Amino acid sequence: MLAVCLLAAGLMWVDQHYTVFQPLRYAVGYVLYPAQQVALLPSTLTLWMEESTATRQQLMDDNVQLRARNLVLEQKAQRLASLETENIELRELLSASEQIDDRVLVTAVTAVDPDPYSKQILINKGGEDGVFVGQPVLDAFGLLGQVVDVLPRSSRVMMIADSNHAIPVQVNRNGVRAIAAGIGALDRIELIYVPNTADIQLGDLLVSSGLGGRYPRGYPVGVVVEVDHQPGDMFARVSAIPSARLDRSRHLLLVFSQGAGQVPSEEIWRYRK
Amino acid sequence: MTMQQFILGACAFFVAFMLEHLPLPELLFWLQPQWALLMVTLLVLHAPRAYGLWLAVPAGLMMDTETGNVLGLHVITFTVHIFLVQLFIRRLDGFNLIQQMLMVLILVLAHQLVLFWVSQMLLPFPIPVSIWSPALTSALVWPWAYAITQLTIRRLLS
Repeated sequence: MLAVCLLAAGLMWVDQHYTVFQPLRYAVGYVLYPAQQVALLPSTLTLWMEESTATRQQLMDDNVQLRARNLVLEQKAQRLASLETENIELRELLSASEQIDDRVLVTAVTAVDPDPYSKQILINKGGEDGVFVGQPVLDAFGLLGQVVDVLPRSSRVMMIADSNHAIPVQVNRNGVRAIAAGIGALDRIELIYVPNTADIQLGDLLVSSGLGGRYPRGYPVGVVVEVDHQPGDMFARVSAIPSARLDRSRHLLLVFSQGAGQVPSEEIWRYRK
Repeated sequence: MTMQQFILGACAFFVAFMLEHLPLPELLFWLQPQWALLMVTLLVLHAPRAYGLWLAVPAGLMMDTETGNVLGLHVITFTVHIFLVQLFIRRLDGFNLIQQMLMVLILVLAHQLVLFWVSQMLLPFPIPVSIWSPALTSALVWPWAYAITQLTIRRLLS
């Protein structure tokens, strides 16, 4: 028994500091895959039933709505195109590096971590789709989190609300930088180490600052809802509501940004639980 | 180890990890028993000659992958658990169901404590471990799990 325990402790140490056992995790992931699929069968079935029993009228209504939405979005996209070229020109004037559009991959949430303390979810894309550890994940409303564990056909995503998670942000209004840390509640994140004199107001939009090289720049992270200046305290207490719908979004986007995101393999474990 | 034992073990693993992965509404997360642990206990209890300490290695690795922990964490806790089960195996066999449930309660409680300690000692960020609820729910599902596995494992392997 002691021998097995010591071996396992050694395995833990190696797995924490190096990535040599990643193939083993991958292989075990293959073994687990059928059992997980069977467990998800009821929810997959209900979803399929819902889709296949939709009436013609429902589908037509949906179609009309989507067409209208598409039109609005296309109109916005047209404006965006001209703005983007203008932006690139301005950047060239400033001789700054040009920002290239991010490539995304659509994925669906398959399960939520049964652990009530950890804010992690499972998604249905994995290593076979090119997902990598540290990859940023968005939903339609803002940044949701990052991939912390990759299996062949599923991955584990740590949400920005997890208490082990922190993300560098910037106030959209004036560019004040801060760090938004999760506190383990889905509807709240907190800015830590904000000086009492920092210009942060209620309603400020926080966007990712791209510092640290993990998250791409400029995606919405949250909206400030509470600023508390305690006289005598070194830091102000600032909390925000996450922009992403952490508890409701079903479809997510995995971002493949140019250059950013890829983290040297030896650093991967530092960010893991 | 015979082919029959291998297939039976594989089926048990499949069922246990299917239950482990079962999506539950957020309110019921607390009630999720430790299915993998129960499966290991039952296999060791019903066929001690076929399944021993080594069972902790595949089960632990799968559990670590399933829960997204560092590989090896559950190998340690499962090893300790199987060791304890083997210590008490005679008594567990002789007990009636109520006594067995109490024993399972204590064993799962001990497992959660060991998990807590190991993660405190060996991980830079200890994982949150709920101590009581898995033990209680595991004890509550024990009679059914025991009856079903007795029907299958004991019959097939004897």
